[in-house]
Formats: sequence, structure tokens, C-alpha cells
Amino acid sequence: MSAYSSKKIFNILKQHALTAISYLIPIVVSGGFLLAIGNLFGGENIESINESFNFFDTLTTMGGLILGLLPVVIATGIAFSIADKPGIAPGFLVGLVSINMDAGFIGGFIGGYIAGYIAKYLRDKMKVPTWAEGLKPMLIIPFISSIIVGLIMYYILGTPISLLTQALNNFLLGLDTGQTLLFGAIIGILSSIDYGGPINKIVFAFLLTLQSEGINEPMAVLMLASMVTPFGFSMSYFMQKIFNKNIYTQMEVETLKTAFPMGVAMITEGCFPIVFNDLWRAILSTGIGGAIGGALSMYWSAGSPVPHGGLFAMVTMTNAWAWFAALMIGSLVTGIVFFLLKKRVDKDAVKILTEEDESDIDMDDLIVSK
Amino acid sequence: MNIVGIAACTAGIAHTYVAKEKLVNAAESAGHKIHIETQGTIGIQDPIPDEMLKVADIAIIAADVKVSGKDRFQGIKTVEIPTDVVIKSPNKFIKKIEEIARKGD
Repeated sequence: MSAYSSKKIFNILKQHALTAISYLIPIVVSGGFLLAIGNLFGGENIESINESFNFFDTLTTMGGLILGLLPVVIATGIAFSIADKPGIAPGFLVGLVSINMDAGFIGGFIGGYIAGYIAKYLRDKMKVPTWAEGLKPMLIIPFISSIIVGLIMYYILGTPISLLTQALNNFLLGLDTGQTLLFGAIIGILSSIDYGGPINKIVFAFLLTLQSEGINEPMAVLMLASMVTPFGFSMSYFMQKIFNKNIYTQMEVETLKTAFPMGVAMITEGCFPIVFNDLWRAILSTGIGGAIGGALSMYWSAGSPVPHGGLFAMVTMTNAWAWFAALMIGSLVTGIVFFLLKKRVDKDAVKILTEEDESDIDMDDLIVSK
Repeated sequence: MNIVGIAACTAGIAHTYVAKEKLVNAAESAGHKIHIETQGTIGIQDPIPDEMLKVADIAIIAADVKVSGKDRFQGIKTVEIPTDVVIKSPNKFIKKIEEIARKGD
């Protein structure tokens, strides 16, 4: 490790978090939709199967079960990413402990790293006599790493993390108007400007922690921010017709035809070809639209109990039409800014990116091994 | 040069495939032979054929997340890189790969 720069270490830590999030996304989306649809039709949590329950009660209950276990998913995912299979047992345990101590998602997150590195250390460094080799992966690593990380949570980290989680929630619930607008704008910017890349995913993880505490407004902002680009760029297309300033090449217009429907489902990446043709103008217009849309959505307290789905998630939202209005305004701003910033182009021009247009490669981003 | 590799991103629906496309285009226009496997949320697609692995000079892992099947690259010089770098600068990255491959021998 010592040979690595701090950027490299950060990249490695980030990779473990992103791996866990990649496992988490399908789980959280299915759980979120189950819960939201169940709740929409009056589903209630099934406390005991001896009582009668209906179809929507089952949806609500299944969704609640999944979302309640998110700290376990994130902790197991991180520990597995670090230590491979030996990380699963301690990761699973530390997630459960985190739930038990009300340390929530942040507890699972931090605990996952500790569990993973303990398991990895034992796997790589611990020497056992030959007769015990078979016991090492089966018994020794899972048991020792679990007990160490569990005790660290109970006696050292769990309580401060749970206090921190509470403090964060209280802070967010107590924001005044100006702070609400600012908070919405910041979330809007951070979750839009890298078009679904790592910054967006880290914000996503943070907002999931809030969602698991029942604070759904910031997630609505992230969803909106992922959509302002495809919607806004499509609006620019109509502006170029109205104001007779051609900003898209024919190829880019073709791109928009698939980017827009993808945007409806909250997938930004369809816009990539247009974004990469004009990176900084695109980022600037997306960021401004995301900030304004995000601030409005927060201010109008639109909340989304599901973390993905775009327009389809609207059925589950509180103040859904306010959210839609914020989305439209944010997109319009992105569209206008992009339209104004873009240079006029010949619509038949084919822009070919040459090597000189590319940014240099930072050697710290590379890991070479044999 | 024969290049093999894996692309994988967090959500596993878009960056993965864009990274693959950029790598393939950049490598082929520089005259290399390349095969990139994708590990998206849908699972492994377009796996690296064994005969390609046998002749590979260098392996690329363009990923933001943990990938599976890294052990196939044992004995092959391997370069790991986040997807966004590959997407932003594919041609420069291929140049870097050429340098790294040369340095190895």
C-alpha cells in the first residue's frame, strides 16, 4: 500500500463502495417499488401471518423487509469487494449489528470496510499449521473477523455513528427556506454534473441513507437531476428550429431520438455522444439546470420513496406534480443555457474527435500489474 | 498488438458499453487486435475467447467496480483504469498501453 499515492488509495476505496452500490441498486429498486406500490393502495405491514392480509399488504411488507436490510447489503458488498468470499461473513454480521444499533446505512458502510480489511488481512497474513489449512477459510477467518468487527461496532464505533445519523436527520428536517433551496441546489449539481458517474453514485449512496430514515425529498432531487440533461437537450432541439440557430449535427439529432426515451426512464447516458462533443458547455448547462430544478423540488417538498424509475416513479411520489414542474423548469434552464452557449454548427458536419481533443491521462488513475 | 480486456461500471447499463466501444475503436484505428468483454448488471456478455487470451500481449480492466475472472489474466501484463478515463481519452489511453507493453520486455 505504501507505494500508492493518496489518489490511488482513494480510487481503491471508491471502487469498493461502487462495487457494493452496483449490487445494491437492483435490490433497492425492487424493494422501493414494492413498498411504494403497496403503500399507494393502502398496504400495511404484516405483523403476524395469523392475521388476515391482502395483496397490497404483501407488497408493502416485502418492500419494507428489503429496505430494512440495506445496511447488510452495503456492508456485505464492500467487505466482499475487499476480501472476496472471506469478507461475506463479517460483512453480513456488521450490517446486522449496524441495524441493531440504529447506526443504519453509514454504520454498514464504515463497518463493511473494517470487516473487509480484517478478513483480507487474516487471509493474506495469517499462518496456520498445515492440518488447519482447511479450517482457515471455513472457520478461522469468518469467525475471528466477525467477532473483531462486531465488537468494534458495539464498543467503539456503533454509538457515535448512530448519534451522527440522528444528528444528520435532525439537521435535514430542520432546514429553513434558504437552506432548503441551497441544499436542493447542491444535491442537484453534484448528482447531475458527471452524468451518472462516480460522484452521482456516491451522492446516491448518501441519499439512500436518508431514504432509509424516511427522508425522501433529496432522492427526488437526484432523480430530477439525472433527467434534466436528456429533457433539456431535447428542448434545445426545438429552440434551434424556432430561433433558426443550428446547434446540433444530424448525428446528434439521431442521438437525441434515443436519449429522450432513455431520459424518461432516468437514464442519462443516452446523451453521452452530445456531451462528449462539447464537454464543458454540456456540464455547465446541466449543472445550472440541475441546481435550479433541485432547489425547486426541495422547496416544494416533492419526495420519492423509490430511488430510480424516472417518470414511472411519479405514481409513488409525494407532491408528484410539483416534482414534474421542477423537472420541467430545470430542463428548460438546461436547454436555454446549452442553446445559448453552443456555437452554430453545420448540420451535416461530422465532428471527429482527434487525440489532441482528449484530456491527458493521470498516471495515478492506472494500476499496472503482471 | 493483441489486447484483451473487461469493461464494467457501477450501474452496469451504460458506461460499460460506451467504454468498450471507445476502446475498440481507438485500438482498431491504431492497428491493434482487441476483444473487450462486458460485465454489466445483466451479467457477462461477449466473453473473451480462449484463443485470444493465449496470444494477448496486454490486458485492460476498464472498471469502476470489482470484476470477475481476473485470474484469466495471470501472466499477462494488466492495466486497471476507471471507465470515465477511457471514455474521455481512449486514443491517449491506447498510446499509454503501447508504452507500458513495450516497457515490459
